[in-house]
Amino acid sequence: MKKSVKKECIAMLLAGGQGTRLGVLTKDVAKPAVPFAAKYRIIDFPLSNCINSGIDTVGVLTQYQPFELNQYIGNGQPWDLDRLSGGIFVLPPFMRAKSGEWYKGTANAIYQNIEFIDDYNPDYVLILSGDHIYKMDYAEMLAAHKKNKADCTIAVRDVPIEEASRFGIMNLKKNGEIYEFEEKPAQPKSNKASMGIYVFTWSVLRRYLVEDEENKESDNDFGKNIIPKMIADGQRMFAYQFNGYWKDVGTISSLWEANMDVLKGGSSAEDLDLDDESWKIYARNIAEPPQFISPTGRVQNCLISEGTVVHGTVKDSIVSHSATIGKNAYVEGSIIMPGAVVEENADVRYSIVGWDAIVGKGCMVGETLSDCKPGEWKISVIAPGYELPENSVVGANEMIG
Amino acid sequence: MKNNALAVLFASDEDSHLNDLTIHRTTASLPYAGRYRLIDFVLSNLVHANITKIGIITRNNYNSLMDHIRQGRDWDLNRKNSGISVYPPFVFNAAHEVYKGKIEALYMLRGFMLKSSEDYVVVSNTNIAFNIDFDEVAKFHVERGADITMLTYSTEDVTPRKLVVTADKNKRIKDLRFPVSTDTGKQLCNLNIYYIKKDLLISLIDNAYAHGAYDFEKDIVRAGLEDLYVMSYEVDNYVAVIDRIPTYFKRSMDLLDPEVREDLFYGHSTILTKVKDSVPTKYKEGANVHNSIIADGCEVGGTVENSILFRSVKVGKGAVIRNSIVMENGIIMENAQLDYVITDKSCIIQSGRRLAGYESYPMVVVKNKII
Repeated sequence: MKKSVKKECIAMLLAGGQGTRLGVLTKDVAKPAVPFAAKYRIIDFPLSNCINSGIDTVGVLTQYQPFELNQYIGNGQPWDLDRLSGGIFVLPPFMRAKSGEWYKGTANAIYQNIEFIDDYNPDYVLILSGDHIYKMDYAEMLAAHKKNKADCTIAVRDVPIEEASRFGIMNLKKNGEIYEFEEKPAQPKSNKASMGIYVFTWSVLRRYLVEDEENKESDNDFGKNIIPKMIADGQRMFAYQFNGYWKDVGTISSLWEANMDVLKGGSSAEDLDLDDESWKIYARNIAEPPQFISPTGRVQNCLISEGTVVHGTVKDSIVSHSATIGKNAYVEGSIIMPGAVVEENADVRYSIVGWDAIVGKGCMVGETLSDCKPGEWKISVIAPGYELPENSVVGANEMIG
Repeated sequence: MKNNALAVLFASDEDSHLNDLTIHRTTASLPYAGRYRLIDFVLSNLVHANITKIGIITRNNYNSLMDHIRQGRDWDLNRKNSGISVYPPFVFNAAHEVYKGKIEALYMLRGFMLKSSEDYVVVSNTNIAFNIDFDEVAKFHVERGADITMLTYSTEDVTPRKLVVTADKNKRIKDLRFPVSTDTGKQLCNLNIYYIKKDLLISLIDNAYAHGAYDFEKDIVRAGLEDLYVMSYEVDNYVAVIDRIPTYFKRSMDLLDPEVREDLFYGHSTILTKVKDSVPTKYKEGANVHNSIIADGCEVGGTVENSILFRSVKVGKGAVIRNSIVMENGIIMENAQLDYVITDKSCIIQSGRRLAGYESYPMVVVKNKII
């Protein structure tokens, strides 16, 4: 059969993780499909980065609760990824003539799709995660990869040295070449943390994937197996320094923080500025009329999206599309996800109210928090679709549903 | 299910007097309700009823309409076997005039209608915001054995060019006339939407065109009242017909009523429009917003009351916007004040400027103006 048109670089987006640390939020949906910043999903960030970087062929590897994600991605039109040649493909694990199994690890997920990648005959493959919030020009990273004649380029960012032992740390030579990779080192030698974003020369990665698959001891994981093996073999491995905003939203606390970072806005490099004409973040559109702030509504320092009606007071918060804030309700420091309802006289502070959840009349959810260390916010969570009975009280850091 | 009707829409309405708001655009592409253009309503209703073969007749200034519609993707109208086509005006005679009335315009689209397999035609103006079920109209048309079904609505806004409808108890239209001074209170008026069998429409158009007639209502509908069953299908949902600037203002302010929004946006059809990927709206510390409709992409640092802000409007600190409509990309700078003002797209009102109109005569600032 006729082969697809050759692509110089295609992206493979790992979107199969369960995201257990997000608790009730990822009970029924994969982490990349979790709503973010009033009108987006987490996956909108890597997808928008791809199209903005000129990468028009993206494979999305799904495994855990894929239904919502599949529906959201659809034909890829919101990201301009509905293409005659290339486009977006959802790639779940599948049965083969003689075998067939779940994706065992990140590397195995790519291994199982070697045929898909080969079909585009790419020179390079970009490996991405579906749970990071950032804006990044992959074209620049690819250019660095080519300039270095690298086999693998790993995006790194600086973390405070005292926190470096929580990350996968790259130890670099002066020219940016990686000579050592340490996962969560007790005595970190550098503060360059891997962001889980890799560019590989496809012919080299392909060989390593096949080898790795044959090794029954391997966890089939990029960080644990492929990268260390390539370094040990003396392949050309380079770091690509990234200085912009980046956040792994794998926990309730970091998801909340990243949302608040959007609210804070700002246009400097460390800030997450979504209102950027040169780097738009695209999302599937929800056909809703504009928001309505009623005569009793009061909104201060917040982000609100379409279809939402505010009768109460909203402060320092993110209210997603199609939500309702009732009369005399008070919302502070919280994320109200799409379609959620905060009924009359309810009081919601420093909480995440899941999509389509209902906080009944007079409920008290969460409490006002003074400054916390990053990652340690005590955020209360109401599960998606959960109906919190009237006058319930939910303490700080509690997860309901 | 496939629908057995196609639609012909008129992008310009010669009877409208929207002056400053339609210098650069057709009535069809007049911005309305914070994120829509007027044509979105009829398109969404048609698409909801699976009427997906749609021709739009334009007369002038149709660039903004073409830019809005593009391939029709936002209404799911980029189809293989149907979809949307925008027809620029044909020049009819040596005097290089474009079409004179609806009859000539429909005559232009004779070919489009003839080569379609659908048996019925929806003929509609585009200056109407409404949310109805066209399947009900089709059902009514067949059940009543109508030759022409005319959609009607009851309104107090009886301007001189409106057509007042008199129907008998079986809904058959007996008279169609301009209003007279004794018409007070609500009157049943023509909504300028028709449902008609294609073959009949073409033969009526051919005959009228051959006789040099050009007024669809006078020369076809009224002239045919005796011979044809012209039936009145009264729309009792919310209807906004936009034909004057004060009407535009009033019908916009109607949207502050939750019942009107419920009827218009959460009725039969989902109202679709061009997607612009705006960010959510940001309300800053000094924001003081009450009873207002705000589209996405705005940044509000001042006071907004009883007003409508379209997409990506910036309101500076200390600015006060009351009873006003600010269209897309408007910038209202610090301490500026607006009261009963409509600013068209991309206007800049500089710091400290004060503009005011009156409810019955709102002040209009034309597109791209800096004050």
